[in-house]
Amino acid sequence: MCRVRRVCVAALLLLAAAASCALDLKLHDDEEEDEDAMFQTPGGDVRVRVSGRALVPGVRAQDWVASARVLLDGDKHVGFLRDDGSFTVSDVPSGSYVLEISSPTYRFQPVRVDITTTGKMRARVVNYIKTSEVIRLPYPLQMRCIGLHSYFIPRETWGWSDFLMNPMVLMMVLPLLIILLLPKVFNPSDPEMRREMEQSMNMLNSNQELPDVSELMTKFFSSPKSHAKAGGGARGHRGGAQSARGGASRRKIKD
Amino acid sequence: MAWLVVRLAISVSLLNTASAVFEDQVGKFDWRQQFIGKVRFALFDTHSQASKKLLVATDKNVFASLNSRTGDLFWRHVDKTGPEGHIDALLMYGQDAVVVAGNGRLLRSWETTVGGLKWETVLDTGSFQAAALVGVEDLVKYVVVLKKSAISLHDLSSGSQIWEENLPDSDTVQYQTIYSGGNGLVFVFGVVPNSHIVIVEYKIEDGEIMNKKSVEAAWMSSLESSCTVISSGILLCVDQITQSLYTLLLQSAEQTEMRQIHLQTLDLEVASGFQPILTSTQPNPAQPPLSEFVLQLSPDHHILLQLKDDFIATLRDFYPSYLAAFATSGERTVAAVMSPKNDTACSINLFSADTGRRHLDTTVIYHMDPNGGKPNRLYVHAFLKKDDSVGYRVMVQTEDLTLTFLQQPGKVVWMREEALADVVTMEMVDLPFTGTQAELEGEFGKKAAIQDGLLPMVLKRLSSQFILLQAWLAHLWKLFYDARKPRSSVKNEVTIDTLSRDEFNLQKMMLMVTASGKLFGIDSKSGTILWKQYLENIQPNSVFKLIVQRTTAHFPHPPQCTLLIKSQDTGLGNLYVFNPIFGKKSQISVPALPRPVLQTLLLPVIDQDYAKVLLLIDDQYKVTAFPSTKNVLQQLQDTASSIFFYLVDSSQGKLSGFRLRKDLSTEVIWEVVIPTEVQKIVAVKGKRANEHVHSQGRVMGDRSVLYKYLNPNLLAVITESTDTHQERSFVGIFLIDGVTGRIVHEAVQRKARGPVHFVHSENWVVYVYWNSKFRRNEFSVLELFEGAELYNSTVFSSLDRPHPPQVLQQSYIFPASISTLEATLTEKGITSRHLIVGLPSGNILSLPKMFLDPRRPEVVSEHSREENLIPYAPEMPIREEWFINYNQTVSRVRGIHTAPSGLESTCLVVAYGLDIYQTRVFPSKQFDVLKDDYDYVLISSVLFGLFFATMISKRLAEVKLLNRAWR
Repeated sequence: MCRVRRVCVAALLLLAAAASCALDLKLHDDEEEDEDAMFQTPGGDVRVRVSGRALVPGVRAQDWVASARVLLDGDKHVGFLRDDGSFTVSDVPSGSYVLEISSPTYRFQPVRVDITTTGKMRARVVNYIKTSEVIRLPYPLQMRCIGLHSYFIPRETWGWSDFLMNPMVLMMVLPLLIILLLPKVFNPSDPEMRREMEQSMNMLNSNQELPDVSELMTKFFSSPKSHAKAGGGARGHRGGAQSARGGASRRKIKD
Repeated sequence: MAWLVVRLAISVSLLNTASAVFEDQVGKFDWRQQFIGKVRFALFDTHSQASKKLLVATDKNVFASLNSRTGDLFWRHVDKTGPEGHIDALLMYGQDAVVVAGNGRLLRSWETTVGGLKWETVLDTGSFQAAALVGVEDLVKYVVVLKKSAISLHDLSSGSQIWEENLPDSDTVQYQTIYSGGNGLVFVFGVVPNSHIVIVEYKIEDGEIMNKKSVEAAWMSSLESSCTVISSGILLCVDQITQSLYTLLLQSAEQTEMRQIHLQTLDLEVASGFQPILTSTQPNPAQPPLSEFVLQLSPDHHILLQLKDDFIATLRDFYPSYLAAFATSGERTVAAVMSPKNDTACSINLFSADTGRRHLDTTVIYHMDPNGGKPNRLYVHAFLKKDDSVGYRVMVQTEDLTLTFLQQPGKVVWMREEALADVVTMEMVDLPFTGTQAELEGEFGKKAAIQDGLLPMVLKRLSSQFILLQAWLAHLWKLFYDARKPRSSVKNEVTIDTLSRDEFNLQKMMLMVTASGKLFGIDSKSGTILWKQYLENIQPNSVFKLIVQRTTAHFPHPPQCTLLIKSQDTGLGNLYVFNPIFGKKSQISVPALPRPVLQTLLLPVIDQDYAKVLLLIDDQYKVTAFPSTKNVLQQLQDTASSIFFYLVDSSQGKLSGFRLRKDLSTEVIWEVVIPTEVQKIVAVKGKRANEHVHSQGRVMGDRSVLYKYLNPNLLAVITESTDTHQERSFVGIFLIDGVTGRIVHEAVQRKARGPVHFVHSENWVVYVYWNSKFRRNEFSVLELFEGAELYNSTVFSSLDRPHPPQVLQQSYIFPASISTLEATLTEKGITSRHLIVGLPSGNILSLPKMFLDPRRPEVVSEHSREENLIPYAPEMPIREEWFINYNQTVSRVRGIHTAPSGLESTCLVVAYGLDIYQTRVFPSKQFDVLKDDYDYVLISSVLFGLFFATMISKRLAEVKLLNRAWR
């Protein structure tokens, strides 16, 4: 693979050399094209006219041409637009230029224009990174507006929808809704429902028979003390809920 | 994929750094003023009565249409700079204007209502002489252009060339003017100096030479302004030496020599040394000119003459008179004459051209600005009033490039300060405090505190507080008073008297120095010109340097600015000292500068009046101090050993460093020679004196600190190769210590050429050059670091720095051309920096310095992410949101001035070129003030809502408790 490629490059180099010898522009679309050899500094005084047409769809040319200019390489060469959007930039010496249409309202894609020492021209896509890449564009140039300039960024506006869709708000609101609405949906006093819930609770802690470690410990350590104490402990017994007693005894251990 | 990640990272990081303009901020704190330059041609649209168009072509290669009622621009076309865009002639016929540009290279026809181009023709090269419209049978159909050796005729509607002919004997005869009187012929006049005049007649249809004759005129040296065609084809010339007028009938075969009329016979005399000027008028190009003409005999003497039956009759003598101009409306031609009235005013009167009678009630009084120049051009717009009398408006241009448009009876309709189209340098000065503020400040003055005891201090405080209260009440009263009046009548006009510093010091005085020698003081908030001062006798291409010696901080001493004006040719300079707030010339005596000034140096040393000391070094390396009081000289002697300065001699490629001696002489301490055969020094820049660096180092991802190399004496020297071949050209940069002359760093960019724009600040240098191999602009950034440890962290001394700094460099592609470059500046240097880039398209880009960081990694790591470094991408992005001037483009940006404001987040930016644009930038967003879209309504409604909710719930809870207690 590697060898094949090297051969290819060699062939292309040969080609480039041949092209430079002929001092003519061969407009082939290979990537390795050595343009520096082709566009030597102008020996003769070739001065050409770069022409094209700029279009802003849906807008009359009169409305925008007065504020627009055609710039070649910054403002090295300047051209003006006619009422129909066409333009010519006169007296351009050979070389390679980036042509752009500068308008305060409308945006255009810049185009690179290459002019040989013999005065031949071609237009291609501007690529600053791979400068030798050639993607040809039609000549005379057709500059199409690609939209309006977007100079401004929108303000962050405050709306109810933004507020409600905020994750923090959602996290707060949803549990609130559940707390408020659930008791209304399920009636806890309904015996059927209660049975169902108990069942599901039993399902959750399936092995009820296994004694709780902490409970075991509390029983082991604090059984005489709990009997001695009357008030709170007694009420706990009366309530009959096992968990409540466990909780109370655990509190004592902490003390 | 990796590319996508990088893109994503960049766009994410942009969210934090973007400093864009919001749409509702438009015009809130920014303004733009558009200029055109010195008017060379001005034509009023006389096509219809109601037309407001005024077409102008200027020396800045600008062709524009002004609204003659307001002075605003309808449209403006800015051609390229230099001789290639120079406008040679402007002709107007009907709705079309024909412009000859680029020394006769281009012929353009413009549609004047919209400002669109109608056609453009390229002419053959050859130096331009004259252009004229040609009419046939009362219709103007052609335009004729005369070059040095050829003449060509073009169709007016399409621009196509009808014929082109070479001029006979063009190597000996200087062809200069043309004339066509609507009779199917074009006359070309040439002269062989001090010998004869050549007249060639061309037929309009095919360019055939109908007749060619030469007439003896040994006195003639040039045809321009001393010859004109009047009446039905009579060439009229004036000569100063022979004190005579000469006439020649163009279409007669018999007359072979010019008829001489001595001026003495008319009782006239040309002032000695003055080249007399003949002015005639041809209202319609398809018809012969009038037989009346104006002869200017001396700078203040005009005379209206008439040629009738070979006799010249004096119609009216205007003495004294500065200016005279013809204007035509319909069939009536008038002459407007400006004559002095008194020292400060001129009167303009209208005279009928055919009789010389003065029109009644046509006087316009023109008041001359005492700080301005003399009027030097007069443009008249005549129109017929309803009662068939002639009315007129007049535009006066003065030496200091002020355009004043006047209407009867002397009302100034509008005024334009065209000197501002060519700002050379500028400064921004803080406004002074108001009286009350100053009073309060004065209370804490050191002297006062020491002298007074405790009780007087308390009394003083009470009195000043009382004054403040008074001022506040007055302010409230004014607000109340204004609120009752209708909105339109309340004028918030800024005048010098009401000027005072605002809360955040955002409003400043912009001092602008223009190339014509006119100084301006402009309010930065509104763009109002508060004062102007024209300095007379300024040579063209002088070099100006503006120095602020004393700011407004030293009340009651007035602020003081010094302008050094240096002639380009001789190098001799002089100083102009003035008060920057009021524009008044200061009474301080200025040192005479008998020798060329090479360098100026503003020292931090202050004299007893708090003025900083300015040192001027002449070509014998002698130093002059200004102010040079005893106190200053004493201080200079004490500190002389630590005052160093450098000189650049780019013609010899020499940079040399000097030290001041106690007797104000100097000694050379170092010299760096950059051989001129290879490269030449293009620019040298130190750091800005008012720049603050807040952090000494950068915290890295691993929590260690990389200390910056902050050498205040560092100079950045840019060189360009003398060899301009694209393979061998290069751009060099040297970083040289200004005290020791040590070359701290040196870098070369091969296959690159200028123009180089660069910024030198903190510990970095950013420069832009043209990469001639890849034909693109590239940014390169150099950053200097001391390393992980700081050597002598208390004070920086150039003499004691054993370790060379670590230099990091990175380059990027910039996908646009660049006109100028500057960095933002803030009060304390805490805010992140942005680069302000002026683009040729007129946009001003605010580019975060973050993108120009040589530590941008190619591979993203944990540490680089921690440090918020953007991954390296070769191409620099340009986002339209970064254009701080949105659609307010600034043509031909020449310089950008940045100044800190009282708010750390805010930097004031002024871009100047053909236009002036002022705005504020917030490189790290407005972190120290509430945003202007801060939602007061929301926050207050939430607060009130919560307040009422607590009140109501409290009440409810009480009720509930009570109910429960009852149960």
